[in-house]
Amino acid sequence: MRLTEIFRLVWLNVTQNKFKMALTSVGIIAGAATIVLVIAIGRGGQADVADQFKNLNAGAIDITYKYSGNSGAGNGSFGGFGGGGMPGRNMGGFGGGSMPSGFGGGGMFFGGFVMENTERIELSETDVEELELFIPGLTAVTISASGSSTVTGGDLEEEASYTIAGVKDSYADVSNLSLSIGEFISDQDDEELSKTAVLGCDAAEEIFGSAYSAFGSILYIDERSYTVIGVLEKMGSVSSGISPDTSIFIPYQTARKYVFGANNISPQITVVAENVKEVAEAIDNIEIVLGQSYPNASFTITDAGSKMEAASKSSDTLTILLYAVAAIVFLIGGIGIMNVLFVSVKERTKEIGVLKALGSSQKDILTEFLMEAAMISVFGGVVGVMLASACMPLASKVGMRVEPSAQGIVLALSFAIVTGTIFGFYPAFKASRLLPVEALKE
Amino acid sequence: MAEMIISMQNICKSYQMGTELLQVLHNISLTVEKGEFLAILGPSGSGKSTLMNVIGCMDRFDTGEYMLHGREVHTCKDKELTAIRNQEIGFIFQKYHLIPTYSVLQNIIMPLLLRGMKQRDAELAAIETIELLGLGNRIYHKPFELSGGQQQRVSIARALVGQPAILLADEPTGALDQNTGKEVMELFQKLHSMGNTIIMITHDLGIAKNAQRMVKIVDGRLYQDEECSA
Repeated sequence: MRLTEIFRLVWLNVTQNKFKMALTSVGIIAGAATIVLVIAIGRGGQADVADQFKNLNAGAIDITYKYSGNSGAGNGSFGGFGGGGMPGRNMGGFGGGSMPSGFGGGGMFFGGFVMENTERIELSETDVEELELFIPGLTAVTISASGSSTVTGGDLEEEASYTIAGVKDSYADVSNLSLSIGEFISDQDDEELSKTAVLGCDAAEEIFGSAYSAFGSILYIDERSYTVIGVLEKMGSVSSGISPDTSIFIPYQTARKYVFGANNISPQITVVAENVKEVAEAIDNIEIVLGQSYPNASFTITDAGSKMEAASKSSDTLTILLYAVAAIVFLIGGIGIMNVLFVSVKERTKEIGVLKALGSSQKDILTEFLMEAAMISVFGGVVGVMLASACMPLASKVGMRVEPSAQGIVLALSFAIVTGTIFGFYPAFKASRLLPVEALKE
Repeated sequence: MAEMIISMQNICKSYQMGTELLQVLHNISLTVEKGEFLAILGPSGSGKSTLMNVIGCMDRFDTGEYMLHGREVHTCKDKELTAIRNQEIGFIFQKYHLIPTYSVLQNIIMPLLLRGMKQRDAELAAIETIELLGLGNRIYHKPFELSGGQQQRVSIARALVGQPAILLADEPTGALDQNTGKEVMELFQKLHSMGNTIIMITHDLGIAKNAQRMVKIVDGRLYQDEECSA
């Protein structure tokens, strides 16, 4: 039988049973839509990561100190432990029970394995100077601190909480910040503890409606007035972990005095290594320099490169997870097709018998049923792709970033056809092998 | 002597029923000449359906020789049997067996499509048959929109359209009322007078008497050649 004529018959069958066809293809529709969405979300995630780090200095290294409270009696004894170095180790070998009393509370930590930051340390401008002085190959060193505070003024009807960052002039270079209007905080602002502020672009829009109207206006942080001297361009995220778009930048010393308070501030030093390859070496040097000043403290030092890696890794994990979901959906969709085709073969056993009596070959019947499965799959795939395209604006509305791609559509369609045809094969094969006499008896 | 269409020699067939071997056809020998109208009469369970399936190449037999229009059926493979069914045999079933999703026209031209003809060519080739059976104004209807008699005429048209060597009818009036049955029988007579070879299987002596020749089958054995009607 001619393929075109088989196709005509399949078309007849399919169009006569629209409802059944639609039901059968639901699984494939869901599968195809999932694949398109998964790929769009995955790509969206990757693009998000790329965007987040596009302003990031690959050579940037952040140094913070986490004060973990004055717990235990280990405060004093830790000094001896750190300084004693070698003896400490030997002692550790004796086991916890035989610790000499000199160790004091320190014994509760397993052989000094965990360093607890029980000392209150504030990274300061002196540390910045020392790092600049002793470590070669750094292009910039800056100190900053951030936290959230209540803000009023502008168009805000009630007080809102914003990230406040106390920064130095050099912060703009380290974080690759650029201004859309006005200028960044200067060293003079810092020295004079002036109440000036630079707004992130989203913050400016939220508080004043636009960057333009924000410039030169007054806002209140913790009920103290600040003059807006500049507004940033849209930036994405930067190394220091705050997102500049929604932040308010004020001079470091101002922030230290008026916003955070000298006792609660936990500053962060950011250095930029000239050469990305020297980041590891720079980290070692930082540890040595800071170790001189603060022998008992352990600093958290993170570099932008490993942050980037971690972020893109987690986005990859998400993508793999989504792919797995898509695969499961397809499997179920395929089984659905197989099920319906089996029922269809059963239902049409007599028809198959008649066709065989009239001289239909095994190949004709196999082709007809396979073509039917393929047609349902193609239909399901196309509808699924359309459905996914319709869903994408919704996804972006709930804040999920999606990046539609032709690659996703092609993959979804080919998966739909392959799944439908593979799962359609067995029922079709069974149908083609029916004996005419047996089929007619039904 | 007229051309021989069917020549069967000592056909035997048995089914395995559980542990027992049930012999359904015992040494059946039958010849049918071109242009004959033969009735095979038998009660239910006599093996007449099996015989019809064997004649129609839908079922295999164990032993014996079967020549159909010059082809040795007993040596044929499945593929050849498929071709024989398509080209040499026109089936007319008791329950019409039309395909419900297809139109009357599509049903009628199926045997031609299965031969590899194009839809258009097949439609053209079927016009004469459609006219002959008076189905001209019904070709775009679905089978379920037709009466039983009309459906049987569609099925006869489907059997005729490929100009097969024999028309093989299985209880063609079994599902019809008496009047419609009579009409169908008149149609068979007409087809016979046009030179078609017809084999009709029935359990009804009244119907069988429409044929030119009758054989009886009882318990799988054929009792030959009782001249009837004429």
